[in-house]
Amino acid sequence: MNIDLITCSEVKSVEGKPGNFEVSLVNQPRYIDQVKCTGCGECARHCPVTAVNQYNMKLDDRRATYIEYAQAVPLAFAIDTDSCIGCGLCENMCVAKAIEYDDKERETSIKVGSVILSAGSKGYDPSGLDFLGYEYPNVVTSEEFERILSASGPYFGHLMRPLDREEPKSIAWLQCVGSRDTNRCGNGYCSSVCCMYAVKEAMIAKEHAHGELDCAVFNMDMRTFGKDYEKYYLRAKDKDGVRFVKARLHTITEVPETGDLVIQYADETGMMKQETFNMAVLSVGLQIQPDTAQLAERLGIELDKYNFADTDTFAPVATSRPGVYICGVLQGPKDIPGSITEASAAACLAGAELAEARGTDIPKVEVTEEIDVTGQDPRIGVFVCNCGINIGGVVDVPAVREYAGTLPNVVYTDENLFTCSQDTQDLIKEKIVEHKLNRVVVASCSPKTHEAMFMETLEACGINKYLFEMANIRNQDSWIHSKQPEIATKKAKDLVRMSVARAAALRTLHEKVVPINKQALVIGGGVAGMNAALSLGNQGFNTVLVEKEAELGGFSRKLHHTIEGDDIQAYLKTLTDEVTGHDKIDVLTEAKITGFEGFKGNFATEVMLGSKAEKRRIEHGVFIVATGAGEYQPKEYLYGEDGRVMTQIELSDILEKKGADGLDSVVMIQCVGSRNDENVECSRICCQNAVKNALDIKKRNPDAQVYVLYRDIRTYGLLEDYYTEARKQGVIFIRFDKDAAPDVKSSSEGMLVTVKDHILQQNLEIRADLVTLSAGVVAEDTEELSGVMKLNRNPEGYFIEAHVKLRPVDMPSDGVFLCGTAHGPKLVTEAISQAQAAASRAVTFLAKDAIKLSAITAKVDTDHCVKCLTCVRECPFGVPVFNTNEKLIEINEAICHGCGVCTSVCPRQTIQLSFYEDDQIISKIDALLEAEGM
Amino acid sequence: MIVAKRKPFEEIKEMIKDYKKVLNVGCGTCVAVCLAGGEKEVAVLNAEIDMARKLDNNPVELGAQTVERQCDHEYLEELDDIVGDYDAIISMACGVGIQFLAERFPDIPVYPGVDTTGMSANQAVGWYEERCRSCGQCVLGMTAAICPVTMCAKGLYNGPCGGTNQGSCEIAMDQDCAWFRIYERLERQGRLKEIIEYTPPVEWNDQVPRTLIQPGYKKPEKAKES
Repeated sequence: MNIDLITCSEVKSVEGKPGNFEVSLVNQPRYIDQVKCTGCGECARHCPVTAVNQYNMKLDDRRATYIEYAQAVPLAFAIDTDSCIGCGLCENMCVAKAIEYDDKERETSIKVGSVILSAGSKGYDPSGLDFLGYEYPNVVTSEEFERILSASGPYFGHLMRPLDREEPKSIAWLQCVGSRDTNRCGNGYCSSVCCMYAVKEAMIAKEHAHGELDCAVFNMDMRTFGKDYEKYYLRAKDKDGVRFVKARLHTITEVPETGDLVIQYADETGMMKQETFNMAVLSVGLQIQPDTAQLAERLGIELDKYNFADTDTFAPVATSRPGVYICGVLQGPKDIPGSITEASAAACLAGAELAEARGTDIPKVEVTEEIDVTGQDPRIGVFVCNCGINIGGVVDVPAVREYAGTLPNVVYTDENLFTCSQDTQDLIKEKIVEHKLNRVVVASCSPKTHEAMFMETLEACGINKYLFEMANIRNQDSWIHSKQPEIATKKAKDLVRMSVARAAALRTLHEKVVPINKQALVIGGGVAGMNAALSLGNQGFNTVLVEKEAELGGFSRKLHHTIEGDDIQAYLKTLTDEVTGHDKIDVLTEAKITGFEGFKGNFATEVMLGSKAEKRRIEHGVFIVATGAGEYQPKEYLYGEDGRVMTQIELSDILEKKGADGLDSVVMIQCVGSRNDENVECSRICCQNAVKNALDIKKRNPDAQVYVLYRDIRTYGLLEDYYTEARKQGVIFIRFDKDAAPDVKSSSEGMLVTVKDHILQQNLEIRADLVTLSAGVVAEDTEELSGVMKLNRNPEGYFIEAHVKLRPVDMPSDGVFLCGTAHGPKLVTEAISQAQAAASRAVTFLAKDAIKLSAITAKVDTDHCVKCLTCVRECPFGVPVFNTNEKLIEINEAICHGCGVCTSVCPRQTIQLSFYEDDQIISKIDALLEAEGM
Repeated sequence: MIVAKRKPFEEIKEMIKDYKKVLNVGCGTCVAVCLAGGEKEVAVLNAEIDMARKLDNNPVELGAQTVERQCDHEYLEELDDIVGDYDAIISMACGVGIQFLAERFPDIPVYPGVDTTGMSANQAVGWYEERCRSCGQCVLGMTAAICPVTMCAKGLYNGPCGGTNQGSCEIAMDQDCAWFRIYERLERQGRLKEIIEYTPPVEWNDQVPRTLIQPGYKKPEKAKES
C-alpha cells in the first residue's frame, strides 16, 4: 500500500537536497498495460515469434510477448519489440484489451526525500578469457548451471549438459573466474559468494543425478565464512563426497569426439596435472556493469576502482552524496543475507531523515461497519471466473454456474470474465447488498493470488472477511486437465460444491486489535547495540539501552584500527557521546535482565541495576538483541604458558603501545578455536585480523619477517586487496592441513614453530620472537538471558534468526530483532549495517499504533483437555504452556502463528483452529463424497 | 502413565470376524495420550476394519464411542444404553479398562484392541520408556532411585550379574546395566556404602491380584457386588 512500483524505468537525474529531491525518470514502454493485464498468458501462447530467453541465460527461448518468470512483480506481460514482428495476433487474443502497440517512451519526475541505490551487479562475462574454454558447449557459467538445475529452467531441472542433453557423470567447478585476478581481468576483489554457491550447486547436482556423480571444486581457498556455512562445506566434503582440489587453472580444452573437457591445472606443489570431466562450470564473480557505473556518475556518487560505491567504514550504507543511500552488491560483494540486511539498513537511514513526515503520504482506508450475521441462515453468492479463457476455454463455466445455483444455501450465482478485476469487485459489492449475501464463494484461482483482495471486498460491504471461500478451478483444474474439458468441468463442480459446503460452516471471526507500546529495548551496549539504539532514537522512538558492564562499547573497546586504518576508539567515543547525549535514549549500565513477559507490541522486561541493586520494569513494544561476542581464550600452542604466545588482539595492543621495533620474526597461526572439532564454524574475521596486524608490523618495521600459517585465507570481498598487499610486502603465507597442525616449542633463542610447507612438502622450522594466535570468536554467555527471554540459540551460542537468507535480522518471534556478533562473527562495518537493519525492522513495527492479531489461532477446550502436554511439546513456536496457577493448558492468541500443528496432534481433539475447525474441513470432504456414484 | 500399543490389524480382524455389529470403545486418558486408543485411534481402526471387511465381502456395522476413562464406573455408564445393539465390543483401553468394561457387560464378548505395555515416562511425543513394573515392594530408596526390577533383565536385587559390560547389559549394547547406573549414582551422591546392604529377594510366589486402598478410604460394598 505504501510502495509505488515503477518498472521499465531509468533514473536520468536526481536534483535537489536531502528531504527534497526531484528525480527525473525515463519510462520505457512495455506495450502492454500492466494495470489491465491479468497475467493470463494468452498473448504469449499465440505469439509466433521465437526469442532468446535471457532469464534462462540464453539456454532456451521464449515468445516476443513474455513475462520474465512466473513470480515476476508486477505479474504483467510485456512485448519485446526487438523481436516482435508486429503481426497483431496478441492484440486480437487479449480479452482484457491490454495491448498498446503505440505505447511510447515517456519522461516523468517524482519528488522524494531520500534515495536508495540498489542497482546490483551481474555475473562476470568469461568470454574474453580464452583459456577458460567458454566457447565449448559443455562449459557453462555458474549462472547458467543454476538455471539448468532449476525446475523452471531450460531443462526443467533435469541435470543435462548442453551439447547432447546427456546427464553428466562428472562435473568440475572452477573458482575465482573474474575474481581475485588482477592479472587477466583486473578484478582484485573476492566476490564472496562463489565458494558457497559452488558447494550448493554440487550438492544439488548430486541430488538431481540418477547415479554416481563426481563433483570436483578447483579452488585456491574455500571461503565458506558465513554463519553455518562451514558446516555445509564439511557436509559436502565429508558426507556427500564432493571433492575440493587446491589448484590454479591452466587451460580447459575440449575432447572433440565426446564433448568432454580436459582440465589442466597446477596443484598445490606446483606440479602440472590434468583431469577429464563431462562438464565444467565457471564460478563467475560479481561484476558492476558499466551502465550502473554511469548511473552512479549521473547521481554524483563516488565509486572505487572496481566501481563499488565508496563508503565509510563506520557508515557502510551512506554514499558520498548526502541523502543517497546504498545497499547490495553495488556497495561491495556480498551474499543474500548481507544484501537484505543492508537494504533494511539503507531504509533505516533514508527513513530517519524523513521521520517527521512519516505516514503523511499513506492513503486513508475507510472502514465499513460490520453487519452481524450470526443466527442468519447462510445466503451464499457464488462467482465463477472465466479468467479470460484460462478457465473458460476448458471448463464449461455456464454449466458450473448453473450447477452452483442448485446447491444448498446458494441464493445468487454469476460468472465473470475476470472475477479479480476492479469492475467485478464493484459488481460483487452490489450483489452482496442486493441479495443480502452473508457468504461469498469465488471459483477462480489459488487463494495465494487474490484471497486478500476478495476479503477486502467483503469487508467494504460490512461482511466479515472470514465468511469467504475460494475454489481453485484454474491452477488445480483447467490448467492440469486442459486436454479433458469434460472431466475438468466435472471437477470444477466438485470443487464448487465443496467450497459451498465449507462456506455454510464458516463463522464470523474478529482480529484482536492490540495497541503497540512505542518504546524499544536494546540489549547490549556494544557497537551494534549503540547503533541500533541510535537509529531508533533518530527515527523518533524512545529507546532503553541495557548494558551489563559499567561502560558502553563492548568488545570494541579492545580494538584499535580497522584494516582500512580507521580509528575504532575515536569512532567509539563519538558514538558513545551521541548515544548518551541523545534525548530519546535512556542508557542503563551494570544492568541485568531478570524477568520478562508479554508479546509483540507489549513486552515488559525487569532489569536489575547492579550498583544500586534496584529493580526496574521496562515496558516496550519491540526489542533488539545485541549481546555480542568475545575472543576465544586459546588452550593451544603454549598460550598462557609462554608469554611470547599471544592472540591477535594482544598483538595489536603491543603494536599500538610499543610498536614493532626489535621484532625480527613473527609467526601467526590461523583457525585457533575455529574450524576444529570443538567449534566447527569459521570465525570469519581472523584472516583479515592476521593480514591487518601483518601489514601493521611491516609498516612499522619493514625488516621484520611475518609468517602466516593458514588453512584457507578468507579475506572476502574487498579485503582481498589487503591480502594481496601483504603478499607484496613480503608476508609469507604457508598453508597447513587440519590434520597436520603446526608444532610450537619454547626455547631460549625464541619460539620454534614447525610446519609442513605445502609447496616443498617438507617440514620447516621457523624461529619467532612472537607467536600470534588468530583466536576465533566466541559468543557471549547468554545462557541465562536466553532462558529468561525465551530466545533460541544455535549450538555455538549465537542467536537464531527467523530465516537465514530472507529475514536475517528478525528473530522467530514477532517484534524481536537481532544484530551484531550475537548473530555470528562479523566485522565492525557489518555489525553497524546489521544494527541499522534491526532498527529499521523494529521501526516497521513501532510506526503502527496498533496491530491486528491474526484471527486464525488455536483454542483449547479446557474442559476436555487432559493436559498431556503433546501440544506443548509439538508446537514449533513454543506457544502452548501449562499455566501452573490455573492448572490449565493455555494458548496465547497473541503469539499463536495459526499453523495448526497442535490441532492435529492433540490426542483428545480438544484444540480447534479457527477458520479451519473440524466441521469446516470435514464438510468439504463430505461434500466431495456426495458426488454421483460415490 | 500406562502405555499401550495398537494390536496388529490381522489379529483384531481375526478376533471379530464372526460378528456383524461391533462397538469400538476408546479410552480418553492414558491410552489416548500415548496415541494408542483414544478417539482418533478408534476412528482409524474402524476405517481399517470397514475397508477390510468390505473387501472380504463380509461387511460389518461399526460403532465408535470414546469414554473419559474405562477404569471408572461412572464413565462406563454412558455405554449402558448403547451396547445392547452390538454383537461384540472392542476395547482400546489398557488391560485394566478392558476387563472393567467386560465386567460391566458380562453378556457381550469384549476383545482387546491394544497390547498394554506398562508404566512409562513420556520422553517426547510418541516415545515412552518403562520405569516401573509395579512389583509392590519398592527398593528405590536403596538403589539411588533406579529400579533394578524394571531395568535389569534379570531383575536382580543385589548387584550386577556377570553380563555387565562397560555400563551396558549383555542383552544389548544400548541397554544400560541397571546396577552400573545404580553404582554410578550412589557414588556421585557419596552413598556407595549403601550398595553393600543386602536386599532379600522379592517373594514372587506370593503375587496375587492386588487391591489398593489409600489410607482413610474403605472398600465400598456395592462396587464389589457388580
